[in-house]
Amino acid sequence: MITLELAKCSGCSRCEVNCSFFHSGKIGRSGARIKVVKIEDIGIDYPVVCQQCQERYCTKCPEKAIEVGALGQVIVSPTLCTACGACELMCPIGAIELYEEIPLVCDLCGGDPRCVKACTLDAIHDEADVSGAVSLKDFKKSSRGLSPEGKRLSYAMTLSRELRDSWVAERRG
Amino acid sequence: MLHGYGGHILRVDLTSEQIRREKTDPDYMLNVIGGRGLNSTRLYEELERDCDPLTPENMLLIGVGPLTGTLLSASAFMTISGKSPLTGILGDSAAGGFFGAELKLAGYDQVVMTGRCEKPCYLYIADDHVEIREASHLWGKDIWQTTAAIRKDLNDNAVQVAAIGPAGENLVKYATVACNNSRMCGRTGMGCLFGSKHLKAVAVRGRGRLTVADTLGYLDLCRELDQKIMTHPEYKKRNALGSTLLMKALNGIGILPTDHFQQGLCGYVDRVSGETLAEKFKVKNKSCFNCNLHCSRYYLSGEVEAEGPEFETLCSYTSRIGNNDLEFGLKMNAFLNRMGLDSLSSGETIGWAMECVQRGLLTRDDFDGLDFTWGNCQTVEKLLGMIIRREGIGNLFAEGTRSLARHFGKGTGEYAFHVKGLDMICGDPRGIKAFGLTYAIASRGGDHLRAEPFFELTERYDEAEKRWGIREIADRLSDNGKAILVEHTERQALLTDCLTMCKNIGLSMDILDFDFASRLLTAGTGLKFTPEKLDDALKGVIDKDRKMNIDFGVTADQDTLPRRFTHEPLKEGASKGQVVPVGRMVKQYYKAKGWNDQGVPQE
Repeated sequence: MITLELAKCSGCSRCEVNCSFFHSGKIGRSGARIKVVKIEDIGIDYPVVCQQCQERYCTKCPEKAIEVGALGQVIVSPTLCTACGACELMCPIGAIELYEEIPLVCDLCGGDPRCVKACTLDAIHDEADVSGAVSLKDFKKSSRGLSPEGKRLSYAMTLSRELRDSWVAERRG
Repeated sequence: MLHGYGGHILRVDLTSEQIRREKTDPDYMLNVIGGRGLNSTRLYEELERDCDPLTPENMLLIGVGPLTGTLLSASAFMTISGKSPLTGILGDSAAGGFFGAELKLAGYDQVVMTGRCEKPCYLYIADDHVEIREASHLWGKDIWQTTAAIRKDLNDNAVQVAAIGPAGENLVKYATVACNNSRMCGRTGMGCLFGSKHLKAVAVRGRGRLTVADTLGYLDLCRELDQKIMTHPEYKKRNALGSTLLMKALNGIGILPTDHFQQGLCGYVDRVSGETLAEKFKVKNKSCFNCNLHCSRYYLSGEVEAEGPEFETLCSYTSRIGNNDLEFGLKMNAFLNRMGLDSLSSGETIGWAMECVQRGLLTRDDFDGLDFTWGNCQTVEKLLGMIIRREGIGNLFAEGTRSLARHFGKGTGEYAFHVKGLDMICGDPRGIKAFGLTYAIASRGGDHLRAEPFFELTERYDEAEKRWGIREIADRLSDNGKAILVEHTERQALLTDCLTMCKNIGLSMDILDFDFASRLLTAGTGLKFTPEKLDDALKGVIDKDRKMNIDFGVTADQDTLPRRFTHEPLKEGASKGQVVPVGRMVKQYYKAKGWNDQGVPQE
C-alpha cells in the first residue's frame, strides 16, 4: 500500500505526473490515480491515494467489476464495468474517480509503484502488509454529497491537523 | 496532431465579451516556440504601439511553454505580457506554481485579452468552456481571499487562480498577479494591467491530458535532465534555501545591496540570511509543478505564515532598506503577497526615500510626516498601506521611483535606481559586470533575468576558454568578453522563457543548452526544432523586442545604469574599488548583436 510522510511532501505533483504517464502515456492530473490536494492557506500538500481500507467500500460494485488483488490493490474489470459511478460515490476519500468512463484507482503499478520512484523527497513509500490497517469509517458520513475533489480536500484537511499543530508548537512555542 | 502544445489560442475581448478559440499553428510556433517568445511576437504583430497602457487597447497575454505540463521538470511557469503601465515599454513577468500546467491541460498555449470589462469580472476557463463571470463580490479582497472565494464559488479546490489584490485594483503601477497565493508575476506592473481591465482573476481547470510525439525518447531526455539537476553540485543547498542562499553569497562577494546600495557588505547579514530563515522559521519545502528541486519554502513566524520569500523580497525588505529584523521581512512578504505589490519596486521607492532623507535632499515634511530613517519598520508598514490605497503621499509612491524622483526633483533622480523605469534588482552590478550590462540592455528595464549571466560567477576559466575563447568571462570583476557572454545567455534566457522553464535551473544551474533543448522540443512536440531553427527564432524575438521598444521611445542613451554604479567605486569588501564601464560594454554588446551604434537592429 502507498503510505505517506506528509511532512516531507512539497506538493510538486511528480507522483501524479508519473502515475498518469505510466498508465496511459499521457500526462494530466485527471489521468492520475494519486492526486495531490493543495491547501495553500495552511501550507499543506497532501497526495491522496487508495488506502486499501478495511471497509473496501468500492468493492460493493453492483456489477461485481471490482476485486482486491494479491497486493491488496483494487482491480477493476474493464469488461464488467459499466461506468455507473457507484465506486466513486462509495469511496469516502475520493481515491477512485471516473475519467473518460473508466474508474481510476491505484493498482500499485503491478507491484512497482511509479509514484514512489518519482518522489525525490522520499515522502511516498510502498509498504507491504499494511493492507486493511486503515479504517475510513470516520470519513464515510461526512463525505456524503461531496465530489471526489471535495472528499479529497476534506480528508487531507483532517489528516494534516497533527502536522500543522507540530509546526505551530515548533515555531510559535 | 500537435503534441506537447495545448493546441489552442484563446482570444477574449473583455469589452464585447466575444470569446474565440483558434487552433495553434505549428508553422507559426516553429518561429516563436512559446511562452515569452509567443507573447512578444503577438505584441509585435498586434499591439497599437502608442496606446496608453491603461486603456482598453492595451493587450494582456498569458503564454505557456510547449512542454509545460508534461514530464519535463522545472517548466511550470507562465508569462504575462503587455505594454507596461510602470515603464511604458515592453512589459512581462513570469511565475511558477501550478497555473501554467493547468492552462495547458485545459488545451491552451496562450490567452489573448483585449478591451475592458464594464464591471469587475473574472475569466473562467474549464477546458472548452470559457466564460466571463461577475467579480463585484471579490473586488477589494486580497489575493488569498480571492483565490479561496473563487474555488468556493466553483466548488472545486483544484481550480488554479491567477489573481490581483487591492494594489492591482487601485492601479498601483507595480502591482502583481499571483497564482497559488505566493507565486508572483512581480515585475512591470502586470497586476495594474489586470486592474485597468477590471479583471480580478483568471481561473482555470484543465481535465485534459497532454501527449508527446516520441514518448520513449522524450522520457529518456527528461530523465537525463532530472539527473543533471539531482547531481548538480549546488543541489543540496538550493533545495534547502532556494534563492535565499544569495543573501550570504552576495555579501561574500561584496555586492549585497545595503542601505540602498551605499554598501555591498551587510554587517548583520547573519540575522537576515536564508540560513537563519531556514533554521528559525521554515517548516517544509514547497515546489512548483513537477519540479525535483523543491526550492521554495513554507514558513511560520510569530505573526504570519506564507510561502517564500525569494531572495529579491528578502533583501528588498531587509538590508536594502537598512532593516535587520528578519521577522519584519517575513511579515512584509506575506503582506505584499496578499495585497499584490511588487517587493522590488516598492522596496526601491522606500530605499530611495531613505537615502534622500539621509542626504538632506528631502525631509519628513515632504512625506506626510513619515520618518524615513534607515530600517524604520513602522514607516514602511504605514507607507505600504498608503501606496496600496493610493492615499496621501502613497499616491505618488504608487507611480514608481522614476516618477517620484521626477516629482520631487532637487537632485533626487540621482538616487532613483531604475533602468528605463523598472527598479533595479538586488545585486550590486559593480562586482558582477555582465549583470551590469544585462540591467542596462534588458528589454523590460533594470533586470537580470533577461540574460542571467550566472556563468561569470562560476570561476570556470577553462570552460570559458573552451566555450568562448576568453578566460576572463569566468571572472566576475572583468568586463572583457562580457558582451559576448550576455549576447549568448540572453538567447539562453529567452529559450528558458519560451519553454516557460525556471531560470534558476535552466540558467543559473547551467542545465539547458540549445542542442539539448532542440532534442527535447523535437521529441516533445514532433516539430523539427533544429538548433539552427531555435537560434533563428530566438534572435528574431530579441530583435522584435528591441524594435518594439524603439517604437515605445527607447533610445541608446537609456541603455545605461544609474550614476552610482558607473562612477562611485564600492568602498569595502570583495568588490572594493569596482564600477561598471557600462558605456563601452553596451557598444560591444550592440556589435555582438549586429545592431548599429544606436542599438537599432539591421535588416
